[in-house]
Amino acid sequence: MTGPRTGRLHLGIVFVTLVLLHFYVRPRLFDTRLAPDFLLFGLVVFAMRSGPGAGALAGLLVGLATDSLSPGRFGAATLADVVVGYAAAWGRAVFFADNVLVNAGFVAVGLWVRDLILLVASGTPQGQLLAELGLYSPLQAIITAAAGALVLLAFRQWFAVRLDL
Amino acid sequence: MFPASDRGFSRRDTALFVGCMVLALTALFAPERITGSLANALRQTVLAPLVWLQGEAELGRSSRARLRSLLAERDSAAYAAQVLPSLTAENERLRALLGLGHRMRNPYVAAEVLHQAQVTDARMLLLNVGSASGVSAFDPIVAPEGLIGVIWNASRNTSVAMTWAHPEFRVSAFTANGSAFGIVAAAPNATGSAAYLEFRGVPYRDSVVPGTVVLSSGLGGVYPKGIPIGTVVNVIREEAGWARVYRVRPAANPGSTAHVLVLTGRRVASVAEAFPSDTVEPAPRRDSVPAEPRRPAVAPKPSDSTSVPKPKPKRPPGDSARARPTAPAAAPAPPPKPAPAPKPAPSPPDSTP
Repeated sequence: MTGPRTGRLHLGIVFVTLVLLHFYVRPRLFDTRLAPDFLLFGLVVFAMRSGPGAGALAGLLVGLATDSLSPGRFGAATLADVVVGYAAAWGRAVFFADNVLVNAGFVAVGLWVRDLILLVASGTPQGQLLAELGLYSPLQAIITAAAGALVLLAFRQWFAVRLDL
Repeated sequence: MFPASDRGFSRRDTALFVGCMVLALTALFAPERITGSLANALRQTVLAPLVWLQGEAELGRSSRARLRSLLAERDSAAYAAQVLPSLTAENERLRALLGLGHRMRNPYVAAEVLHQAQVTDARMLLLNVGSASGVSAFDPIVAPEGLIGVIWNASRNTSVAMTWAHPEFRVSAFTANGSAFGIVAAAPNATGSAAYLEFRGVPYRDSVVPGTVVLSSGLGGVYPKGIPIGTVVNVIREEAGWARVYRVRPAANPGSTAHVLVLTGRRVASVAEAFPSDTVEPAPRRDSVPAEPRRPAVAPKPSDSTSVPKPKPKRPPGDSARARPTAPAAAPAPPPKPAPAPKPAPSPPDSTP
C-alpha cells in the first residue's frame, strides 16, 4: 500500500510526462488542429482525483498558461478551464470515476465543453462556432480521450483505474 | 496510488471556485494592455521552458524537410555561382542602361510557428521570435505562398501574430492587373478548410474575373506592396448596388504553416520581387517596376547601338524557385540606392546583348 506522499509523487511524474507529451511529442507527431490536448486531459484527471476546489484552481493555472501560449482572447481559456476543472470534480460524484472508459468520457466531454466556452467567450461568429463545435471539437475530443485512455492504462496501478466495462 | 477522490463538496471548494471564476472573468474583461503584459511576462518567466521545448519540437519536426530544402538550395547556389560574376556584371550594365535602381530588399527574421491545440489557433499565432530579434508590432508576416498576417505584439523572445483568419484583420489590396482596389478581410462565417477571404469595396464598374490574383497594395504603410493574398473565386454579394464583394481563396494557410518570415525594420515600398513568379501570374510583378517608356512602333535598326532589348525574367536554375527569396536576403539588406537618372547610354560594344 502506498501513502499519500507516494501518490502525489506518482501524480507529479504523470503530469510531467503529460507536459512533455503536450509540448514536445505532440508537435512532432500530430496535425495541430486535431492533436490530443494532454493538458486538458491532465486537468480532468487531476480534478477527478482532487476535488472541486483544487480542480478549479488547477483549471485557473492551466487556463492562464493556455491563454499565454495560444493568444486568442486572453481569459477565455482560463474561464473555460476553471469551469471544466470544477465540473469534472463534480461529475465524478455521479459516475464511477475509477473506470477507464468513464475517465475517457469525462475527458471528451470536458474538451468539448472547454471549446464551447472558449469559442463563445472569444466572440466567434455563429457559422464558425457551429462548424468548430460540430466537427473539429468532437474529433479532437475523441482523439484526446483515446490518448488519455492509453495514458491511464499505462499508469493504471498508480491511478487505480478499473478495466472492466 | 492516486484514486478518484471520494471527498464531498465543502465551503472551501465553493469559495475556491468562486475566486477562480472572478479571476478568470477579470482576465477576460481586463484591458488588453494589461492582459498582453501579463501574457508576455508569463511567457518570459514561468512558461519560458515550455516555449523553448515546443520550439525545439517544431524544429525537430521540420528538420528533415528543411535539410532537403537546404541541400536543394545549396546545389542551386553552387550551380548559379559558376556563372554569377558574369551575370552580375551583365545585370549591372543592363540596369544602368534601363535606369533602374537596385532591387529593393526587405530585412526579415525567420520564425517558427508554435501551434497550440486550441480552436482559435489559426486566428492568432505564437512565434518564437521577439523584440530581441528585431520584431515589433505591425511587422507583416509572410510565408512562401503569400501573406499570413501581422505582428500583434512582441515580447523579448516571442511574439503574437494576428493572421488573416482573425475577424479584425484587414489589408488594403488590389488585383494583379491593377483594375480594382479594395479591402480584404476574413469571411465572417467560414472555418477550417472552407475558410476564405472577402475582397470588399470593389466598385461596381470594376468587374474582377475569377482566377485574378489579389495583392497587397501598400496603402496604409503596414503591408508592403505586392504580397500575394489570394485568388478571386467568385462574387459573393453586392453592397447597396455600388460595390461588389468577391470571395478570395487565400494564398497561404496559417493553420498549417510551420515557418514564416517576419518583415522587420524600415518598410520598403514593394516586395513583389521576393515572391517567385510561378506562384502568381507574371504580369502583376511588373507593376512594381517603374513603367517603361512607350517604344516606337518601328523596330530599331540593327546598327542602332543604343537600343536595348527588353530583358526577359530568368528562372533560377534547378529547383531553387522557392529558395530565390532567401538567397539575396540572407545577407543584411543594403539600403536601396536612389535610381540613377537615365542618361544616354554610352553602350560599349559588349554591353549590348
